[in-house]
Amino acid sequence: MKGAMVSAEVKLIPLQEAYDDLLNRSLSRIRCELGRLIYLASTREYNTGNYYHEGLASRFGPEAAQKALEVAHRQAFYKVSAFSLEELVQELERYLESTKEDPQECLRAWQKLEPYRIAIPTDVNVTVARLFTSNLRLALAILRFRRQQNRLHP
Amino acid sequence: MTGALIAAAALVLLLLAWARADKAMRDLPSDSGEWLSGLEEDAGISACPPEFVSQIFSNDDQAYVLGLNSRELERQFRHERNGVALLWVQQTSAAVQQIMRQHVEASRRSRDIEIMMEARILLQYARLRAACALLFVGIGLAGAEEVRSMALYTDGLTQRIGQVLREFDAGLREREMKNAMR
Repeated sequence: MKGAMVSAEVKLIPLQEAYDDLLNRSLSRIRCELGRLIYLASTREYNTGNYYHEGLASRFGPEAAQKALEVAHRQAFYKVSAFSLEELVQELERYLESTKEDPQECLRAWQKLEPYRIAIPTDVNVTVARLFTSNLRLALAILRFRRQQNRLHP
Repeated sequence: MTGALIAAAALVLLLLAWARADKAMRDLPSDSGEWLSGLEEDAGISACPPEFVSQIFSNDDQAYVLGLNSRELERQFRHERNGVALLWVQQTSAAVQQIMRQHVEASRRSRDIEIMMEARILLQYARLRAACALLFVGIGLAGAEEVRSMALYTDGLTQRIGQVLREFDAGLREREMKNAMR
């Protein structure tokens, strides 16, 4: 019993350290929560669903790195999903400004291809996942509408 | 005669609302389809966290969209929110059924059944199922934002019944263990 507890602690310590390191080094440099979510989703392998981050894996081992990325991804997802529509529109605006692409082009591609769907982690509540995609569709439509209005009435 | 006519009209209205909600459910954008049900298989059926329930039925989001003065955005907002709300009703109903199934299984194995307690649980379960059916119709008829209070009430009841049954089933197991040790 005591042995099992010690082993669980040994497992948790690198995970906590890997998680803190991820927050302090990589994620703190990203300006918005949506950007963090997209970044974390991009560390997931499409074919296997496993997360991989070279720096993190070399410092804390692949298992702790994978778990830390998974936890951070889920947290970022729930954070973005909890935004009100107004906050999400602001967040999306910040994200589009932070990319080096043309915001108008980016907006069009996001509406057409819905790439944010792959930002949903596995093992999340299905209604929250639906709320996330629904809110993003709305936020994109609102942003596009506002930009059109700005062009018509500068 | 008048009473029968009113009852018939009410029934027709109810059926229309049900059909409307059902159509809205089927018309949901494609993301409620297979890839979301894949998520569900992995995660198991679980009730939606309460903070998200109040967001689904949020008045603030509606006020924000109304402030944009765009009919098209208002229409899209209603369509999207009703879709999420209907999915939530469906999920809640499925989660409650699952909790109840687990409880029935646990009770069947146990020899210490309290009839009054079981009757109370059954009554709560019936209330929840009725609330889900009413919400389904209400969303189809009036939209998600109009049934906010009822949705929050249903969510509270779901959390409570889940908690009570988990504690109750844990108690049953404990008693069984004690009996077996004697």
